[in-house]
Amino acid sequence: MNLRQIKVSPFQAGLVLGLGSALVQAYFKVIPPVAYGVCMVCHPRDLFNWIADHLFNLHWGFSMASTNWPVLTVIGVVLGAFTAAALHGELLIKPAQKPFSYFVNGFLMINFGLIIGACPIRIVLLSAYGDFTGVFTWVCIVAGVLLGTWSMRWIARRQVAQETVA
Amino acid sequence: MIVSIATLVLGFVIGYLGQRSRLCFISGYRDFFLTRNTTLLKGVGGAFLGALGGYILFSHLGGTIPEFPIFAHAGIASFSSEWLIMLVGGIGVGVVGVLSGGCPYRMHVLAAEGRKSQWFYLLGFYIGLVFYNLVTIHLMVVIRTLL
Repeated sequence: MNLRQIKVSPFQAGLVLGLGSALVQAYFKVIPPVAYGVCMVCHPRDLFNWIADHLFNLHWGFSMASTNWPVLTVIGVVLGAFTAAALHGELLIKPAQKPFSYFVNGFLMINFGLIIGACPIRIVLLSAYGDFTGVFTWVCIVAGVLLGTWSMRWIARRQVAQETVA
Repeated sequence: MIVSIATLVLGFVIGYLGQRSRLCFISGYRDFFLTRNTTLLKGVGGAFLGALGGYILFSHLGGTIPEFPIFAHAGIASFSSEWLIMLVGGIGVGVVGVLSGGCPYRMHVLAAEGRKSQWFYLLGFYIGLVFYNLVTIHLMVVIRTLL
């Protein structure tokens, strides 16, 4: 079986992600809090703050799951994606477009994410766990996406109209 | 140590699969609203079903799945200021996710592929984390007190 020839659909990848996150909670002590198997906002926070705490004694908070040893999900994701890209010849250095815009978006994303205590993945996990606050926040994220999509469409239409007039 | 190894392995697997499948937890909704394309949205559904199936299965097999389902133990929280914070934060995550072109998971995957735009995203992401620890966390305490 050639690893390079295996095709993965988003549904299959999502299924593995969901099942894997339940597995690490159930048998590998990635708890508390519950439904914490994967979170791309809280896990980077935990790792960053764990290092800051152990190196500089800053006492920045992290979850109880990473009290003794840090959660390394974010390192794993980067290594996994790097390996997949390298194996399939998709590892290309592409120049930055709108770097300041991306910088600001990253800055805002971690702040909003930590305010709700979850990323869009963990919101799905929390909802599967039966947390109604998670379901409510999931609805809010979808509403935010709808708002963002409308605004992008409005900006694009406005640009087209201005170009047409010019 | 088991926590570090388990999360590293799971991270590697989902990073690999994320790169191959373009799985994203923001683009799924965006594509559906823009073009009615459900390919990426099915990934969100897959994650929900996988997690739900996993929690049910492992709770029956004796794994550590406490208070599942959580609404049966904690009930539905009555309206409080926390819901308002979730509303603002949730909408913020959605809007910023669309403007940046994906969720934080997708941005990490794209950065690992070598896209410099996402390197700047991650630079802002981790500087934003320091800002959260120094400013936002204290600001939220004040806001919660006022609400």
